Amino acid sequence: METSLYSDYKPNTVYVIYIVARPEKVWAALTEADFTEKYFFGRHVNSDWKIGSTWSMAKPDGALDVQGKVLESDPPRRLVLSWRVESMEELRHLPDTVVTYQIDSLGEVARLTMTESHSPTLDPKYLEGGRKGWPMILSGLKSLLETGHALPEFDRSG
Amino acid sequence: MAKPKFVYVTYINTTPEKLWEALTNPDFTQKYWIGVRQESEWKVGSTWRLVMPNGEVWDTGEVLEVDPPKHYTVSWRHEHFEDLRAVGFTRQSVDIEPSGEFLKLTITHEAPEGGEEFIEKVSSGWPGILSSLKTLLETGKALPGTDRLPD
Repeated sequence: METSLYSDYKPNTVYVIYIVARPEKVWAALTEADFTEKYFFGRHVNSDWKIGSTWSMAKPDGALDVQGKVLESDPPRRLVLSWRVESMEELRHLPDTVVTYQIDSLGEVARLTMTESHSPTLDPKYLEGGRKGWPMILSGLKSLLETGHALPEFDRSG
Repeated sequence: MAKPKFVYVTYINTTPEKLWEALTNPDFTQKYWIGVRQESEWKVGSTWRLVMPNGEVWDTGEVLEVDPPKHYTVSWRHEHFEDLRAVGFTRQSVDIEPSGEFLKLTITHEAPEGGEEFIEKVSSGWPGILSSLKTLLETGKALPGTDRLPD
């Protein structure tokens, strides 16, 4: 389907993290606003997470931050999203990013692999934000699921 | 062409001293590093090695830089598999910085030219080791199964 739009995209940023949790719990942490507000810089996600649906992420004050389409959805294993930052004028006109969450069950542990893919025309300077942000966000998700607490400074607007 | 390099960052809720101890004390490393003991006296010029649970030494080198509890760099050559040994000495650094109430831990592993396969191997290893280290420091228990070699 719409993934063909992105057939020349390259996976430029990959982050792997292992979490003591069932894949269903990791899926919930990625797709439910009650979870994302605790580790994703206070942001709320919203979608029915069906293929072709829109999805969005709002800042703590409700303003739209990111939106896109659900390109693939296979709960609790795989979610592929197109990703356009709407809250910053400079970023709004860039080609969409594609973010893939892959969740593999390894017994008591789940392996979460986040891949950010981009258009070959994208200036590499735009990769820096994701490379700084994902380790914080996903370290917070792991702490939240394992201990009940995310990284304290990351539950606010970043 | 750039040297092949792997960088991994994670954030851990602990103190710099505890994180340093977890990385440099072999009794601690074997709890989360699939049973591996990281052994050194941690002085510049000290020998450095990774000892497998069966006592075999699989990686050797020396301490190039050390500044507890913030930074170390070791030279690192794999000894067990000939194709990886042929890569020669790689360079591996640890950096620990405060980040709010958490610590930012950065692992950098760089190989000489031609070391792409070596870096591919460590790229699949470090995330599991560091995920287990984070869990151990935050919950008191490592990831299940990471205290020994996989079956």
